[in-house]
Amino acid sequence: MKKIQKGTIKKNRLIAKDTFALEILSDVKEAHSGQFISILCPPKVLRRPFSIKGFKNGTIEVFFKLKGEGTNYIKSLKEGDNIDFLGALGSGFNIKNKKSLLVGAGIGIAPMLFLKDELNSRGIENFLITGFKCENEVIKGSDKTVIGGSVIDFLPEITEKFKPQIIYSCGPEIVLKLVSDFAKKHDLEAQIAMEKVFACQVGVCRGCVIKILKDGKVQNAAICHDGPVFDAKAVVWE
Amino acid sequence: MGIKIANFEMKNPIIAASGTFGYADEFEDFCDVSKIGAVATKGITLEPRSGNDGERIFETDCGMINRIGLENIGIERFVEEKIPVLKKKNIIYILNAAGSTIEDYSKLASIAHKNGIEAMELNVSCPNVKSGCLEFGTDENSLYELVSRVRKNYGGCLIVKLTPNVTNIENLAAAVEKAGANAISAINTLKGLGIKIEYLNGKFHKKEVQGGLSGKCIKPVALAMVKRIRTATKLPIIGMGGISCLSDLFEFISAGADAFEIGTQNFTRCDICNTLADELENFIKTNGFKDYEDLKEKIKEIK
Ligand SMILES: Cc1cc2nc3c(=O)[nH]c(=O)nc-3n(C[C@H](O)[C@H](O)[C@H](O)COP(=O)(O)O)c2cc1C
Repeated sequence: MKKIQKGTIKKNRLIAKDTFALEILSDVKEAHSGQFISILCPPKVLRRPFSIKGFKNGTIEVFFKLKGEGTNYIKSLKEGDNIDFLGALGSGFNIKNKKSLLVGAGIGIAPMLFLKDELNSRGIENFLITGFKCENEVIKGSDKTVIGGSVIDFLPEITEKFKPQIIYSCGPEIVLKLVSDFAKKHDLEAQIAMEKVFACQVGVCRGCVIKILKDGKVQNAAICHDGPVFDAKAVVWE
Repeated sequence: MGIKIANFEMKNPIIAASGTFGYADEFEDFCDVSKIGAVATKGITLEPRSGNDGERIFETDCGMINRIGLENIGIERFVEEKIPVLKKKNIIYILNAAGSTIEDYSKLASIAHKNGIEAMELNVSCPNVKSGCLEFGTDENSLYELVSRVRKNYGGCLIVKLTPNVTNIENLAAAVEKAGANAISAINTLKGLGIKIEYLNGKFHKKEVQGGLSGKCIKPVALAMVKRIRTATKLPIIGMGGISCLSDLFEFISAGADAFEIGTQNFTRCDICNTLADELENFIKTNGFKDYEDLKEKIKEIK
């Protein structure tokens, strides 16, 4: 299956401050939460990766936040416009049949919403908490939304009440690190979706590597190819 | 469209540049790898290397800076795991070799020779590792010594990849020819520094990456270097640096190149090597040129 895709825009709408939901019609046959697509953004050199928020019958949905030239280009796309992307790329969440706590931060809610759908369709009990910097940045769909504060502060209370057996998370590195620490302290399994600047998107350039513990050894793993989802216990933080 | 350098046959003059195409088979989901002229592997060293810590990539206007630091699986694993795959899939490849001492390069050359590796590109110009490598590429005497020693151990097509980070590339090109290499490839990345400063929530944040600059922005430098190398040697030149479209190929031919490597553009359009080979072939056919050599001659004749 060739993973270079030519899609067409189905919808591109504002959902929060500087944040858009983009729906793309494509020939993609399969996609899972935690996987991403990489959109060509002329005139930029590097493709922009986006976590998949939803997938149904070839329609892929992603969220994007305006950051610069690349995302401004995507914002300019209208219904019916063509789009060149790679995907679905990377390995997604390894869904376990366990009571699941989902922790999102900011735009990191996108794969969490997709995961929530996948968990629901398998009848796996779950709870999604997401944090946003301010009111106008909030994206809907969580079981609990934290505005202004840190989601991490709420984890003890939710864990106490909900008693999760596994945590899944996506957000800035600092949040993922804290989620990992929390999981370790409570002896919970955790899977985290990491992020870095990608160049090649497919694992060859070794531009986005992190250190992970594998087979008893510290090794490099390319986030774009070996991840973006990693077992939190395996990640060696810098 | 096939071309030949020494005894090394490529399917066409378009080569995927080292470091931007891994060990080739990883790109199978994204293009037709077996149709690419040849693939230069990631820079390979005697021992595996884990590369540099910290940020490795910085996007610039019309280009990018990298400081990967030669992360690679080492020659042993390359021979054991990758060569069989490349052979089976009929992928033509060039071993891009890097080291920090003459001994490293000589050993790599022997291993390449013993294992029937048909072409080897010496990376004497990586700006991202602390010792060796670049030093050979900047001094004509050490470069001559290095290439001569490698030549003794290696009977295949020997390509030497030059760095633009020098004052007198003509002397280096001449040294390479005198030492018995079969071709010169140029250019490797330019030394660059990317700085990004953001002011967020009342605080400055800085990202700074020093490394090798590549992509469209370096094309004029690459053309100038190829042209200067051409004045110093009769060896075939594999030109690279910012190539992204058919007219770029013409420009490199005009400067003196015989074949091309495509680097950063693989990240933007991962089937670019296929596309360029097709476009080149089409251009030759539809415009009544006899073959690629004919096209090259005609372009060089342009006054
Ligand atoms: C991420 C990256 C890694 C590279 N690694 C190598 C390498 O291992 N060995 C080498 O000889 N050149 C390496 N290069 C240099 C390229 O092969 C090429 O010389 C340079 O990028 C200029 O071509 P371009 O502008 O088409 O990218 C690398 C370039 C990039 C962008």
